[in-house]
Amino acid sequence: MNKQQKKRLGTICLYIGVLLVAFYMLFPFLWALSSSFKDESQLQMVPATVMPRDADTGAIRFSLANYKSIFTDKTFLRGFLNSCIVAGGTTMLALSVGSFAAFALGKLRFKGRKVSLYVILMMTMFPQVTVLTGLYAVITALQMPAIANMILSYMLFTLPFTTWVLTSFFKELPEELLQSGRVDGATSFQTFRYILLPLTAPAMVTTGLLAFIAAWNEYLFALTFTAIEPSARTIPVAIALFTGTVARQEPFGEIMAAAVIVTVPIILLVLYFQRRIVAGLTSGAVKG
Amino acid sequence: MNLLTKLFPGLKAQTVAQREQRLAYKLLVPSLLILIIIAAYPLCNVVYSSFTNAKFASSQKTEFVGFENYKKLLSVTVKKLESPDQRARKVLPREPIRYKELTRFNIGDNWYIVGASDREFLYSVGNTLVFTFWSVFLELLIGMGIALVVNSNFKGKGPMRAVMLIPWAVITVVSARIWEWMFRSNRTGLFNMIMDATGLSDGQLSFLTTPSLQMPAMIAVDVWKTAPFMALLLLAGLQTIPGPLYEAARVDGATKTKQFFAITLPLLKPTIAVALIFRTLDSLRVFDVFQVMLADRRYSMATYNYTQLIKFQDMGMASAIGVIIFILIFGFALSYMKILKVES
Repeated sequence: MNKQQKKRLGTICLYIGVLLVAFYMLFPFLWALSSSFKDESQLQMVPATVMPRDADTGAIRFSLANYKSIFTDKTFLRGFLNSCIVAGGTTMLALSVGSFAAFALGKLRFKGRKVSLYVILMMTMFPQVTVLTGLYAVITALQMPAIANMILSYMLFTLPFTTWVLTSFFKELPEELLQSGRVDGATSFQTFRYILLPLTAPAMVTTGLLAFIAAWNEYLFALTFTAIEPSARTIPVAIALFTGTVARQEPFGEIMAAAVIVTVPIILLVLYFQRRIVAGLTSGAVKG
Repeated sequence: MNLLTKLFPGLKAQTVAQREQRLAYKLLVPSLLILIIIAAYPLCNVVYSSFTNAKFASSQKTEFVGFENYKKLLSVTVKKLESPDQRARKVLPREPIRYKELTRFNIGDNWYIVGASDREFLYSVGNTLVFTFWSVFLELLIGMGIALVVNSNFKGKGPMRAVMLIPWAVITVVSARIWEWMFRSNRTGLFNMIMDATGLSDGQLSFLTTPSLQMPAMIAVDVWKTAPFMALLLLAGLQTIPGPLYEAARVDGATKTKQFFAITLPLLKPTIAVALIFRTLDSLRVFDVFQVMLADRRYSMATYNYTQLIKFQDMGMASAIGVIIFILIFGFALSYMKILKVES
């Protein structure tokens, strides 16, 4: 084998590798997509077909029945709305409170800076399950609606994360900005609000997106805190406990349609912000 | 404030540094307050109620019971058997707590039986450890493979890196439901359909109810979901390795395999370590996948905790489980850190 052949073989192997990886990453989602277009008789076909096919004729036939039924199903739509409120609220709260703390930790000198930073970092190591029972006691005492409970409890994993990433961003901003603000007679807070904060907008978008995805995904707290208030169920809980419109067996066609619908927006978001997510994840991870 | 400084000019002599310090404390108050409410106080509460018989959502009076909950969870006994197949209930103690058979083993000609007062909990710990070991191990292998492929130069590199993120972006519960559908126990399920078509099985494998298939199924779902995350971290690590190193190696006649073991792997070590810590701690608290796909059929530590709290309303017991999980995870974290420090 000469050098050229060797090189060509290497390229072929690489593309096979690429195809394998792409297939592995995508096949469950594609299977869900195909199943979501099958009606009940198509779903029960043995053996299952890759494309939705007519049970009698074998011709390709897409059915929209599952999509129709989940959009008339109140638990799904309500879950979607609840999830938007909870994930959105969590992101806003984590970003605002987190950016205050991050500014203090990244740019101001004060006693106990290191300790505060470590205390906040320690929270990320916390297993959610451990605080589950204790948090339940707090939440019963606070007597807030389940949506507010979820937003508050999601701070456990979003607040340390946002504070952590934003702190490193604030640290990198040049010291002169703060000093020039001071010379112009602005207070530190004004400098923060009008000069530094706008500069961190890109970091805010990244960390916000990651916090949003984490909150959108959360299941344990949501399942626990909506146990007595089913109307507050978020999408993960709604999909996990999905019973569909007709009570017989598990309505997998509808579940697959719901799965596709909640996954598509996240995929679009991820595709759009791909580069920033990569940067955010790796910077967060390496600093851990 | 203004009035005060007017009346007492001395107050104005606050230095820039002092003002900065005060502002810093003010800015930190909301964060610290939230963290105290949702982390510090609940943690103290968990430790306290783990020593009580507190019931969840009940008006029953709470009593202090000492280590009773821990005893119930962790009590294990070993008894000698007269014959290898002697009934467990003939040998194991039934008072004051009933022991159930965990396993049997033999040394020489003698058979022994291990009983536990709460074997489900010990199983859940075992399940979680097995799950963690295999899923982190496979994730590292597959994640490394993906990272190496994606790190090479080819057309469509950009879209490929985006595709790589998709499993990570899918809600865990949703992916669990999708896999549950693929795992169906007849040929309407993807895996049984494929296995039947390729002649690997009769297409009747019931992945989620056959005990020996449950764990592999859970691991498969988790590896699919999180290998991209691992790949992402490793990819970031790969990109920090300077290219000239490889060129030099190539000039010296090192093969690709040799380059991987001599350059890539050693330089990637810190990244691998960080990724391993992250993923191990994450797997140890696995909840979603187990709860959705196996529910009460097989527990992870977290789902067992949840069951004790919500289904049996046993807050004291659930708290004790929480404390044990915390200690376990903390132990893992500390030992990882120690190993890392020794290396650097």
